[in-house]
Amino acid sequence: MENKKLLRDLSPVIALALIWGVFATLTPHFLTPRNLSMLMIELSTTALLALGMFLIILPGHIDLSAGSGVGLIGGIASVLIIQHAWPAPAALLIAFLIAMAVWMGMGSVIVKQKMPAFIITLGGLLVFKGLFWLVIRNSTVPVAPGGSWNLYSLLTTYYLPHAAGYALAAACAAGFAWTREQPDRERRFLERFTVAQALFLFAFLMNQFRGVPLPVVILGAAAVAVSVLTRLTRFGRYLYAIGGNEEAAVMSGVPVDRVVIGAYAIMGGVVALTGFMQTAYSGASTTTVGELMELDAVAACVIGGTSLKGGRGTALGVLFGALIMASLLNGMTLLAVAPEFKFIARGLVLSLAVWLDTRLSRA
Amino acid sequence: MSREPILRAEGITKRFPGVVALSGVTFDLAPGEIHALCGENGAGKSTLIKLLSGLHAHGSYEGELTVAGRPARFRSVADAEKAGIAVICQELALVPGMTAAENLFLGAEPTRAGLIDWASVYGESKALFERFGVRIDPRARTSDLGTGQQQLVEILKALRKDSRVLILDEPTAALTETETAVLIGILKDLRRRGISCIYISHRLEEVFELADRITVLRDGSTVATLDRAKTDVSTVIRHMVGREIKDLFPRRATAPGKALLRVSGLNASSGEGGTAFLKDISFEARAGEVVGFGGLMGAGRSELLMHLFGAWGRRLSGSVELMGAPLGAVTPETALERGLALVTEDRRRYGLVLEHPISFNLSLSSLKRLTAGLLLDLKLETAKNDEQARALRVKAPDLGARVGGLSGGNQQKVVLGRVLMAEPSVIFLDEPTRGIDVGAKIEVYEIINALTASGKAVVLVSSELPELMGMSDRILMLHDGRVSGEFAKAEATQEKLLAAAMGHSRN
Repeated sequence: MENKKLLRDLSPVIALALIWGVFATLTPHFLTPRNLSMLMIELSTTALLALGMFLIILPGHIDLSAGSGVGLIGGIASVLIIQHAWPAPAALLIAFLIAMAVWMGMGSVIVKQKMPAFIITLGGLLVFKGLFWLVIRNSTVPVAPGGSWNLYSLLTTYYLPHAAGYALAAACAAGFAWTREQPDRERRFLERFTVAQALFLFAFLMNQFRGVPLPVVILGAAAVAVSVLTRLTRFGRYLYAIGGNEEAAVMSGVPVDRVVIGAYAIMGGVVALTGFMQTAYSGASTTTVGELMELDAVAACVIGGTSLKGGRGTALGVLFGALIMASLLNGMTLLAVAPEFKFIARGLVLSLAVWLDTRLSRA
Repeated sequence: MSREPILRAEGITKRFPGVVALSGVTFDLAPGEIHALCGENGAGKSTLIKLLSGLHAHGSYEGELTVAGRPARFRSVADAEKAGIAVICQELALVPGMTAAENLFLGAEPTRAGLIDWASVYGESKALFERFGVRIDPRARTSDLGTGQQQLVEILKALRKDSRVLILDEPTAALTETETAVLIGILKDLRRRGISCIYISHRLEEVFELADRITVLRDGSTVATLDRAKTDVSTVIRHMVGREIKDLFPRRATAPGKALLRVSGLNASSGEGGTAFLKDISFEARAGEVVGFGGLMGAGRSELLMHLFGAWGRRLSGSVELMGAPLGAVTPETALERGLALVTEDRRRYGLVLEHPISFNLSLSSLKRLTAGLLLDLKLETAKNDEQARALRVKAPDLGARVGGLSGGNQQKVVLGRVLMAEPSVIFLDEPTRGIDVGAKIEVYEIINALTASGKAVVLVSSELPELMGMSDRILMLHDGRVSGEFAKAEATQEKLLAAAMGHSRN
C-alpha cells in the first residue's frame, strides 16, 4: 500500500519523464534552449489557468467558462487599446477588474441560488464566446498598434536580462531555504542544494536563448501565491473543508458562501491574466483565442492529482499536470502532428491519467 | 442448542499487517436463533462479520467455517450469498430513485423475451411484502420511504434470495422508536420461520429483548457466550469492558451559576412557511448545568438546537439571549464566534471531513484564532491539536490519520475536540453517545462533567431515557414542538418522562 501511494504521488513525474524522453528521441529540436523557452511560455498560460481552476475545483466546483473568458477579457483589452486608443496599463486594469466582477457575479449566482456550477459556467462559456465575437466584431484586433510595443505585447515577448535571470534564481533559492521547514539537517542541505541547482540550471538554459521569459516569472509568482494560499491560509483550509464535506464545513463555522465567491473572484483575476498572456502570445485577439483552454486546465488539475469531487490536490501537482499537457502539445507541434491527432492524443492522455489515478488510489 | 448449527466458526484467527484482529474466535449459530454479537469498537465484530459474509476470502484467515455441517470456503460475497448468508449493512445499499420493488429485484430482474417482466416484479414484491406483513407499497419510491421501511426493503431483498442467515450490523442506529419496534417484530417473526440472525447493536436493551444467546468479543477473542435468560446487562457490560463499571452515568453535579443562555417564547418555522414548528419554547441553561431535552423522534429537539445555532428554520417570534446579549439571526459561523457550539447528531455527515486527517478536523472551527497576520500559525496549530487530542484521549497512531478510519467513539471525540477548541461557553450535544461503545460513552460523560465543572452550560439531547436521567441536572420534554414537561433530576422517572413525551402531562 505504501508503494502504491508512492507510485501515485510520483506518477506525474514518471509520465513527464516518459513524454520528454519520447519527444527528445523523436526530434533533436525538443530539448534545445529555444524550444524549451517556447515550451515555458506556452506552459505559463496553461498552468496559470489551471492554478485558478484548482481553486475552483478544490471546493467541488468547476469553471467551464474560463476558456471563453480568456478570449473575451483579452479582447476587451485589445479593443480598448486599438479602437479607443487607451494606454495599455489602463486597458489591462479595467479588463482585469471587469473579469473579477463578472466571476464574482457568477460565483454569487451559483452559491446564493444554489445552482450547479457546471450549468452556470456552461452558460458562461456560450455567453462569453458570443460577447467576445461581438467585442472584436469577428475581426483580428492586435494587442499593440502596428509595429509598436506596449505593456500588453511585452507580456510574452519580454525576457529578463541574463544577470537578472541569475539574480532571480538566487533570490528564489534563498526564499526556499528561508521558508522551507525541514528538521533533518542532512535532508535540509540536500533539498536546498537540489532546488538551488535546478533553479540555476533553469536560468542557464533560458539564458542560452533570450533569457528567462516574463510569463515564467508571472507563473512562478502565481504558483507560489496559490501554494501559500492553499496550504497556509484559513481561506485555503476552508476550500479543502468545503470540498471534503460542505455540510460539515457549514456546521463547523466555515463561511462557505463567502469562501466560494472569493474563489470565483480570484478565478476572474486569473482568467484576465491568462487572457492577456494568451492574447499577447498570439499577437492579436482572433475568434479562436482561448478556445478549449478550460478543458486543458481541468485536465492539468486532474492529471496533477486533484479530485474532481473536491477536497484533494496540491498546487505543485497542478503545475506538473500543466507541464505534461503543455509538453504534449509542444512536442506534437514540433513533430508537425496533424491537429486532429493532437486532440485525440490529449484526450487519451487525460483518460489514461485519470484511470491510473483511480487504480492507484484504491487501497 | 442440540440441533446442528447452521453456521459455525471455529478457532478463527485473522491477522492484518501488525495487528491480530481475531484470535481463536469460536462462534456458532443455531437454526432459528437470534444470536447477538456484543463488544466495544475494535473488539473484532466487523472483522468476524466480513469473514462470515465472504468479504475476507477463505485463505486470508486461519480456522474453519462450516455451513450446516459442511466446510465453507467463501471466496467472495457472492459465494456467501449462495450459501444463504446475507448482510444488512449500516449504510443502506438501495437506489433511492427506484421503487421498492425495483430495488428488491435489482440485479435479478425477471425477463420475458429479453424485456423486464414488470408485472411479475410488482406481483412478486407485493406477495413478498404481504407474506411478512410489511405495509409498503411496492410502487413507492425508495427515497420517499422512511429509514426503517428502507431497512425492511433491504431485509426482504435478502430473504428473496432465500437467505437462511441474516447478519444485521447496527440496524436500529438510524431508526425511530416505532420503526425499531416494527423491525424487532419482524425479526421475531423470522425466527419463528426458522431464519437465523446475527444481531449487532450497541443498544443492550434491544439485545436483551431479541437475542437467544449473546456472544461477547473483546480484543479479538471470544470472552463469553451467554444465554440471554441466564444473564443480565451488567454481566454483559463487564465482559465487554473487561472490568466492573460501577456507575454507567457518572454525573458530578456542580452548583449552577448565572444563566448563560436564555430562550423565551420562541416560535420558529421550518422555512418559508409561516406555521410554527417550534412553539412557545422557553428555557434557560445556567453555568455548570446540564439541561436535558427528551422527546420522541420528530418532537423538535434537534430542530431547536439547530435553530439556536443558526442552521435550521426561521424565527417567527421570541427572544434568545446568550450571556446577556441578544442573539438574533445567527449563522453557525457567528454562533461559534459568540460562544455557542453544537455537536450534531449525525457526526459523519455534519461533524467531520472524513477524508481529511484528525488534525485538519480538530482545528477547523478555530482557525481564526490560529492565524497570525495573513498566514496560519502551523506550530501553534499543531500544539493546540496535540493538547486537545491528549485531553480527550483520542486513540490513533498520529493526528495525520484519516478521521474516516477511526472508530465511532474516536470520531465523536474528534468532533467534541473541534467544538471545544473553539472555546464555547454553551455547548449543545445532540445524541452525543449514539453508536459508540460503553467505554467511550463514559469518556464522553466525563467530558461533560469537566465542561460543567469549568463553568460552561451543556444542553443535552438524548433519545435514551436512562442517559437523559443519568446525566441531566434538569430535564425538559418536548412534544410536537412544545415543552410538555420540566423535571428536576430528583423527580424524574421513566414513566413521567414518557408521559410528557407523549404529550399527556403539562406542568
